[in-house]
Amino acid sequence: MKDIVTLLRPRIFSFKNKGLFKNDRGRRVKLFLFGTIGICFWGGIFATSLRVLIYFKEISELGDILAYKLLSMILLTFFSLLIFSSILTSISKLYLSRDLSLVHSMPVSSFKIFIARSIESTLDSSWMVIVYTLPIFMSYGIVYQAGFFFYWDMIMVILSLVIIASSTSVILVVLVVNFVPASRMRNMSIFFGLCFFLILFFAVRFLQPERLVDPEVFSTALVYLKSLKTPAPPYLPSTWACDSLKAALSGHIQHGMFHTALSWTWAGVMVFMAIIIADAVYFKGLSKAHTAHVRLFRNRFSGIHFRGLLPGPVGAFIFKEIRTFFRDQTQWSQLFLIAALVVLYLYNFNALPLEKAPIKTVYLQNLLSFLNMGLAGFVLTAITARFAYPAVSIEREAFWLVKSVPITLRRYLWIKFFIYFLPLLILTEILIIATNILLKVTPFMMALSTATIFFLVPGVVAMGIGFGAAYPDFKADNPAQTVTSFGGILFMMVCAGYIGAVIFLEAGPVYNIFMADIKERGLTVFEWTWVTGSFFLVFVLSIAAIIIPMKFGEKRLSELKV
Amino acid sequence: MIELKNLSKKYGNLLAVDTLNLRVSKGEIFGFIGPNGAGKTTTINMMGGVLAPTSGAVMICGINMADQPEHAKRKIGFIPDRAYLYEKLTGMEFLKFIADLYDVDEDRFLKKSQEKLDMFFLSDRSNELIESYSHGMKQRLVMAAALLHDPQVIVVDEPMVGLDPLAIKMVKDHFKHLADEGVTIFMSTHTLKVAEDICDKIGIIHKGTLIATGTYEDLRRNVHAEGADLEQIFIRLTEP
Ligand SMILES: Nc1ncnc2c1ncn2[C@@H]1O[C@H](COP(=O)(O)OP(=O)(O)O)[C@@H](O)[C@H]1O
Ligand SMILES: [Mg+2]
Repeated sequence: MKDIVTLLRPRIFSFKNKGLFKNDRGRRVKLFLFGTIGICFWGGIFATSLRVLIYFKEISELGDILAYKLLSMILLTFFSLLIFSSILTSISKLYLSRDLSLVHSMPVSSFKIFIARSIESTLDSSWMVIVYTLPIFMSYGIVYQAGFFFYWDMIMVILSLVIIASSTSVILVVLVVNFVPASRMRNMSIFFGLCFFLILFFAVRFLQPERLVDPEVFSTALVYLKSLKTPAPPYLPSTWACDSLKAALSGHIQHGMFHTALSWTWAGVMVFMAIIIADAVYFKGLSKAHTAHVRLFRNRFSGIHFRGLLPGPVGAFIFKEIRTFFRDQTQWSQLFLIAALVVLYLYNFNALPLEKAPIKTVYLQNLLSFLNMGLAGFVLTAITARFAYPAVSIEREAFWLVKSVPITLRRYLWIKFFIYFLPLLILTEILIIATNILLKVTPFMMALSTATIFFLVPGVVAMGIGFGAAYPDFKADNPAQTVTSFGGILFMMVCAGYIGAVIFLEAGPVYNIFMADIKERGLTVFEWTWVTGSFFLVFVLSIAAIIIPMKFGEKRLSELKV
Repeated sequence: MIELKNLSKKYGNLLAVDTLNLRVSKGEIFGFIGPNGAGKTTTINMMGGVLAPTSGAVMICGINMADQPEHAKRKIGFIPDRAYLYEKLTGMEFLKFIADLYDVDEDRFLKKSQEKLDMFFLSDRSNELIESYSHGMKQRLVMAAALLHDPQVIVVDEPMVGLDPLAIKMVKDHFKHLADEGVTIFMSTHTLKVAEDICDKIGIIHKGTLIATGTYEDLRRNVHAEGADLEQIFIRLTEP
C-alpha cells in the first residue's frame, strides 16, 4: 500500500509545483477562461435537464416512463464514454508513459505499479465525465423530490460504474497487448479509438433520440408505450445502475440497495480479476511494447522526384515535414476525425428542410450562406489550431537544428506557412463551395464567399504559425496539446475576432445589395461608398492579418534562447 | 555477484543479444564495450529488470531476476543512459521518491541525500525544478538517486556521457572507492579511456555476441598484439 502511494506521489508533487515555481500570467488567464467556460457549460447542462424533466413530469403517466427511459439511455452513454476514455488513458498510462522504465527498475513488484497506474488512469479518464453528468442526475433528484438516500445512492452507483468501466478496459488492454504483434502496438490506440467512435456513432443514430420527444412517429400510443417499456439488457452494469436509481427515486430503499450492492460486487470481482491478470502478463506485455514499431506505410512518399524543383533548404523542410507527419500515426489518424466532422457538417446541410421554412427562401439561403462562412471559418480555425499552431513546437528538441542551419528564421516561418496554407486553402474552399451548392445560393453569394475564404485562409494560417512561433513549447509531451496554452488561447481569440470582423464588415453592404436587388433598384452613391469602403477594409485587414502575426512570431522566436 | 546465463533478446526478427554468458565477481568493475548498436543497452536493461529477456536468466547476488524481481532490484543501483526524470519535481523531491521506493528510512535518507548531493555538486540546486537542470546535472542527479540505498551491485549505461571533466574524475574515483568496499560494478561505455583506467575486466560485445572477455592483458594476448592499447584491440576485434 505504501509503495502504491509513493508511486502516485510524483504526479501529486508535479501538480503542486506547477503554480509554485513558474508564475506565468498564461496560467491565470487560462484558468479563468476555462473556468468560466466550464461553469457556463455545467450550468447549461443543469438547466436543460431540469427543464426537460419538469416538462416530462407534466405529462401524466407517460412522463415517468419517458424520464426513466431517458435515464437508462444516459447511463448507457455514461458507461460507454467511461470505457472509451479509460481504454485510451490506460494504454498510455500502462504502456507508453515515458517514466515506465524508471519505475520498473525499482524494487516494486509490477502489480503494484499496475495498481498505481490504474488508479491514475481511472481518475484521469473519469473526472470530466462525472463532473458533467452530475447535474443531470441531480436534476432527477430535484424534480422527483427524492430524499437523502437518492443522492447517496447516486454517488455509490456512479463510483461503482467508474470502477467497473476502468477495470474492464484495463483487462481488455492488458490482454490485447499480449496478443497483438509487438510491431503493431502503437497503432492500437487509434484502432480502439476508431472502433469506439463508430460504435458510439451508430448507437446514437439507431437510438434516434429525437424520436423520444416526438410520439407522432409511432402509429399508435400502444406501440409507442410498448417500445418504451422494453426492458434494458439485464447483464449490462448500466442497467443495474438504472434500476438502483429508479428504486431510489421512488423511495424503495431496499430495492435500491440491492442493485447498488450488485453493482459493487461486480466492481470488486473485476478489480480482483484485473490484478490477477495483470500480475501474470503486464510486465511481459510491457517488454513487447518497448520494441520500436514497424511503419505502417513504407516509403510510399519518398518525394525524391520533386526535390529538383525546389531550392535546397525549402525542399528539405517541406519533405521533412510531410514525412514526419505521415509517419506519426497520432498525427494523421486525426485526419479521420476531421473527415468525420466535415461529413457530419455537410450531411446536416443536406438534411436542412429548406422548403418547409416559412421565410422567403432566397433570403434564408443567403443568410445561411453567411452563417456558413462563419462556420467554415470556425472549422478552419480548429484545424489550424490543431496542425499549424504546433508547427514550430513540433520541432521539439531538434529546434537547435533550425537555428544552426544557414536559413533565416523569417524564411523558415514562411516555409512553414506555405506547407499549411495550400492544403488548408483547398480544404476550406471545397467545404464552402460544397455547402453553398447544397444551399443553392445565388452566384453572387457563391463568388463572395469563395473570395472571402480565399482572403481568410492565409490570415488564419499566418496567425497560427505566428502565435505558435511566439509562444513555442518544446518540452510538451504532446505538441498537439500546446493549443491549450496561453499562446494557443490568444491565437483562437484573435482569430475569432478577425473572422467576426470580416463577416461583420461584409454583412452590411451585402444586405443592401440584396435589398436593392429584390426591389429592383440601383445602389445609391452612399451605398456604393459603403460597399467599396467595407470591402477595402476587409482587404487591408486580411493583409495585416498575414504580415503582423508572422513578424510578431519571428521577433519573439529570435529572442528565444534555446 | 552478477551472472548472465544464456541471455538472449529478440526485437521482432532482430537478435539484439545472442546467448550471453558472463560472470562478474564481488568488488570487480566490469567494462562492457562495443560499437553503437552492439546490444549494450539492451543487455543492461535486462539486468535492471526493465526488459524481459527472450530467453536466459539474469542472476544478481544469486537471485534470479525473473523469479524474484523485487529482491534482485533492491540490490541494484540502476543508472540508464537516457533516464526519464519528472521535470516538474525538484531534485530533492525526486530523491525522496526514489528513496521511498527502496524503503530507505527518513534518518538515513537525510544523511545520504545530503552526502550524495554534495558529492555530485548539486546541493545548492536541489530545491529547483528538474526542468531547469542542464543535461549533465540531470545525469548526476540520476546517479545520486541510484546510490542512495547503498546498492551491492551498480549497473550503469554510458555513465560519462554529458559529464564535465571534473565530474568524470569524481565518478571514476567514486566507482573505484565503491569497488574497494566490495561493490560490484557493471558499466557499459564506448569511452575506451575510461574502461582502460578503472575496469578490472573488460567484455567486448559485437552484433549481440560477446567476442572477448578478460583482463586487459588477456585481451592483448587474444589478438596477439603485445603493447597494443585498448583502442587498437577494439578496432581489430570489431572491424568488419
Ligand atoms: N526498442 C527497440 N526496438 C527494436 N529494436 C531495438 C530496440 N532497441 C534497440 N534495438 C536494436 O537492438 C540492437 C542493440 O541496441 P542497443 O542495445 O541499444 O545497442 P547499444 O546500446 O550497444 O548501442 C540495435 O541493432 C538496435 O537497433
Ligand atoms: Mg546504448
